[in-house]
Amino acid sequence: MQENAVEFRHISMEFPGVLANDDVSLDIRKGEVFALVGENGAGKTTLMNILYGIHEPTNGEVHIRGEKVERFSPKTAISMGVGMVHQHFMLVPSFTVAQNIVMSREPRRLGVLFDNKAAEAAAQRLVEEYGLVVDPAAVVREIGVGLQQRVEILKTLYRGADILILDEPTAVLTPQETDELFAVIRRVVRELGMTVIIITHKLYEVMAISDRVGVMRKGRLIGVENTCDVDEKKLASMMVGRPVLYDRLEKAGEAGAEQIKVSYLTVCDDRGLVAVDGLSLSVRAGEVLGIAAIEGNGQSELLEAITGMRRIERGTVEVCGQNVTGKTAGEIRAVGLSHIPEDRLATGVSRSASVTDNLLMGKQRDPAFSGFAFHQRRSSIERYAEEVYEKFDIRGAGIDTAVGSMSGGNMQKVVVAREFSFDSPVLIIAQPTRGVDVGAIEFIHTRIIEKRNAGCAILLCSADLDEVFRLSDRIITMYEGHITGEFRTNDITKDEIGWYMTGHREGKEAAKA
Amino acid sequence: MKKLAGAVNCRYLLSLLLSILFAFLIGAGILAVSGFHPLEAYGAMLSGAFDSARHIGDFLEYAMVLCVCGLACVLGARVGIFNVGGEGQLLLGAIFAAQVGVWMDGQPRFLVIVCAALAAMAVGGLYAFLPGVLKVKVKVNEVITTIMLNTIAAYLCQYLAKGPWKNANKNMVAATEQLGAQYWFGNVIPRSNLTSAVFAAAVMAFLVWYVMERTSVGYEMRITGENPRFAFFSGLRTDRIVLLSMVVSGAMCGLVGMFRVYGVEHLYRDSVSKDYYFEALMVAMIAQYKPVTVILLSLFFAVLKIGAQGMELIGIPSQIYLIIQTVIIFCMAAESGITRSLTAAHERRRARRAAEERLKEELKHG
Repeated sequence: MQENAVEFRHISMEFPGVLANDDVSLDIRKGEVFALVGENGAGKTTLMNILYGIHEPTNGEVHIRGEKVERFSPKTAISMGVGMVHQHFMLVPSFTVAQNIVMSREPRRLGVLFDNKAAEAAAQRLVEEYGLVVDPAAVVREIGVGLQQRVEILKTLYRGADILILDEPTAVLTPQETDELFAVIRRVVRELGMTVIIITHKLYEVMAISDRVGVMRKGRLIGVENTCDVDEKKLASMMVGRPVLYDRLEKAGEAGAEQIKVSYLTVCDDRGLVAVDGLSLSVRAGEVLGIAAIEGNGQSELLEAITGMRRIERGTVEVCGQNVTGKTAGEIRAVGLSHIPEDRLATGVSRSASVTDNLLMGKQRDPAFSGFAFHQRRSSIERYAEEVYEKFDIRGAGIDTAVGSMSGGNMQKVVVAREFSFDSPVLIIAQPTRGVDVGAIEFIHTRIIEKRNAGCAILLCSADLDEVFRLSDRIITMYEGHITGEFRTNDITKDEIGWYMTGHREGKEAAKA
Repeated sequence: MKKLAGAVNCRYLLSLLLSILFAFLIGAGILAVSGFHPLEAYGAMLSGAFDSARHIGDFLEYAMVLCVCGLACVLGARVGIFNVGGEGQLLLGAIFAAQVGVWMDGQPRFLVIVCAALAAMAVGGLYAFLPGVLKVKVKVNEVITTIMLNTIAAYLCQYLAKGPWKNANKNMVAATEQLGAQYWFGNVIPRSNLTSAVFAAAVMAFLVWYVMERTSVGYEMRITGENPRFAFFSGLRTDRIVLLSMVVSGAMCGLVGMFRVYGVEHLYRDSVSKDYYFEALMVAMIAQYKPVTVILLSLFFAVLKIGAQGMELIGIPSQIYLIIQTVIIFCMAAESGITRSLTAAHERRRARRAAEERLKEELKHG
């Protein structure tokens, strides 16, 4: 019999009003890569947080290497050899790699002084032992996200972890970095006998890396399978609870007149540093232009500048043939632009307002909804909201619920429903399905392509490369505020585009080398 | 909406009533310790407010002041700007209205009153415009600027009432010349402070309620207050909405100053407002910035205030009123935290039981 690294026995975890884990029993074998998949809010992270001691389960037991966990705290978990790399890194940006790695167990001189030399030596030893190449003397702020993730992994290894939990580790990585990470995971598992649990919702990654896979849905463990026995389609339907149709999206029609024209645009970020540097692009009616870029390369600032949410330093923006440079968001909307913002909580909704009020925004002065002396026609407003609610398949407790209490996917549907209802000829779409579950992604994608086929000019930006490839007619890559490449979607592969996203113009050659 | 609003309202109402009850209990304790009979004292408070038409008129007048000032505060709070400067706007409105009446002495009554009201609103509005523009354009915290402006206004009024606009007959106190009796507001209840200004106040209160609760403008204001970035993103001119609300809020406070001068004092002096705006601010906060609740609570606190004067007649210090008011605010503030921890504990207990039930079921069947 194979020894189990972790055993969950009848774990239930309830937060006020939410059953995050519902009687989950799961064994994770020693020396395997176990993938835990499920939609957002399925309870994956909660289960792992219990293993890492952040939450104490309402019910049930956890056994690590056969030993029952008595006290739930990260300290106990670490001492039992569990390490966790969170989705959002927990590093001190101003410290060096070595300092971050040894933190909380620093080598000392004379009992009190921090021994930097010993720290760097220790870090270097780890780097060599595990093949996770990173410079121990580098300052964390100045290294890339992929390297920061290595530092996080090294940190857990330094603390002696041999059960490693990775929470959505590839969300911030390029395809190349993902490949490297997977290579590292394979090595630590095969050569050092570690156990790796990886939380994800990207199914092709499950297929690529895991030995076994567990699917969670609404707090319950739906099933555990050997990865070789399942395919992505089966996993997707297990996650959603019904068959998912990954139909090809039917694109139709020819591209028409130029609807968005950006010329020599320069925009600064919040710190006043140049984020978009003399960039030009254009989008025609009936086409989707996708921007592929790693987070923080100016794509957010570019979209904000086009939609009037950010000041333009130099250059011009034209929407529907009109110069809108320096206009406010409201004035640009009046010209014929709608915008699905990148951050729906901060920009896309008012959380305390009802679904009705969120759907109404932008149409509140419409004569159908606002009569004599600005009197609101509540009954026609509610009728309208009901209609949109139905049409966009928003699921929740009805049009009177506060948007803030809805799930991410339904909240996003509210935003999409509102922005699409203006029938604007120009759409700016940022991260349309971030944090949205599989079923809703399908729905939103279909709607976007409908708009494209109806002749909208769409500028799309997404951190999800698959999404960019699926929806776009053309793709541009951005790196540090510049465009580094432009392709027709059929002319390039995901691997190739990764090189352009990291600033290599000579992408193809570099990929071959 | 109705169901949601109903549930929220019920909880709010319950916590408000409990807070008030608790405040009266603490007040009773203090009274008893000081050697007074609590019931007797509260009886005196009630009769102090209701025993004569005059006292009823007085508390209605005070309720009017609280209500209009409270609604002025609500107007700002709705769009996300907190006008703490109402006291200064009120004082400036009062002194300018008084002086306009002095300058225009001899002119027809209607003209004088309209000009005084316009002057009061303009001065109050302008005085609110300043912190408003600083907030909107350069993001200066309006709480700090409005508090500072209060002090400046108070000293400015004192200077004017002791200097250029001084009352020749009153050398010792700061006051302006008395208005001609033909310009005074008519009494609604004889010998009380209640004047015809109450009708204007009622119209204002209705308008504020209507605009905020029933119109698309009020909807835009609410969204702006809830998430200004979302409001701007959706095409609203948020700067203008915030600034306009602040100016109207200031104008309302200025107008209250004018009501006090033309209705009660008949000249400007310090007693035009004794931090009345700050009491109104408390009322607005307790009412969670809801117009109708502000109106009702204004009446309640006015009864307490005028009733406290009745207690003083039987030798009980009227400060007991302040204690009760403070305890209510304290309880209301603590309420949200206490309820949250109580419901959380309840939910957790329920969850644990449910999980145990399920486990038992499973063991039985499996």
